[in-house]
Amino acid sequence: MRKKMTNKPLTLTLSAVLLLISFAGSVSAHHATASFDMTKSMTVKGTVTGFDWTNPHVYIYVDVKDEKGAVEKWSVEMASTGMLARAGWRRDTVKAGDEITIFGNRAKDGRPFLHLSKVVFANGQELAQNAQN
Amino acid sequence: MRNHLIFSAAAAVAMLALLPAARGQDAAHQASVPDLSGVWQVTKYQPRMFPNGGAPLAPWGEAKFKTANAETNDPNLGCLPTGVPRLMFVPLPLEIVQTPTRVVIIHEGVQALREIYLNRQHPKDLDPTYSGDSIGKWEGDTLVLDTIGFNDKTWLDAVGLPHSDAMHVVERIRRTDHDTLVDDVTIDDSKAYTKPFTIQQVYKLKPGWEIQEYICEENNKYTYQGK
Repeated sequence: MRKKMTNKPLTLTLSAVLLLISFAGSVSAHHATASFDMTKSMTVKGTVTGFDWTNPHVYIYVDVKDEKGAVEKWSVEMASTGMLARAGWRRDTVKAGDEITIFGNRAKDGRPFLHLSKVVFANGQELAQNAQN
Repeated sequence: MRNHLIFSAAAAVAMLALLPAARGQDAAHQASVPDLSGVWQVTKYQPRMFPNGGAPLAPWGEAKFKTANAETNDPNLGCLPTGVPRLMFVPLPLEIVQTPTRVVIIHEGVQALREIYLNRQHPKDLDPTYSGDSIGKWEGDTLVLDTIGFNDKTWLDAVGLPHSDAMHVVERIRRTDHDTLVDDVTIDDSKAYTKPFTIQQVYKLKPGWEIQEYICEENNKYTYQGK
């Protein structure tokens, strides 16, 4: 999986960004972040296929195309509905068909599964996953 | 004259004694204790009670800690109760509600409810439970909680520090300023640890926040592989 990723540098950018973003703000309450590599951040850009406004976590599902048009299905884990609502999210903030860019931390086991730190919408609007304390 | 004075003094004492009753003891009591009520949120999430290691584990605790794996057998993965004292460290808001005889803490995380009795001692022969039996008393500006009667099914923190059914938790909760609440949590468990230790959690008041529904079983994608 990791090798595959390096073959798609244009769409899946494993960034070396130091991750204050996700560290400082990350309060994923229920399952902490044990399953994710919180030392490295990455960016995924794609088309939303679904949005679960649920607990214990909210999920965004994204189709990510590589340069040859092959689709990889990613899922993105977020905090709870209560905490996201306090950070400005709503049940219809993300809709199927939206083009979004997601910053987050990948599952340690290499699945196409991210712990979100923030999302950037096509119009440039950004939303982090935690309310500012 | 002398009798009159004695009578007057006695009447005054009687009136003073009766006044609180006339006003209602609840109201008198409420006015005399600190107000901790409100919605509070941790200022800093502490997934580890000992970030640099060094928990004073006794052999029983050490053996149990070795079996902990945050990715497979954290009870939270199965939406099992968080329990006391870990509930106090969960990075989801909690609401404190006070009555003269009870302090109730409503935790958003996993919809947990914690009742602290101010007017009784611990019952004898407690059934072991996830959150134990909590009693409390006011010491000046501080609410002192005493909790026993635990099972040994919960973790103390997110990396799996264990505890036994012998655990005794004492918490000292007070408002250090209007917007700040501090809980010093002392864990005394001679089966799991060689000595008691105290972990502090700080909270900020969140005006306007309300406790939200949190149904852990709704869309939980994790699998608990504990027993």
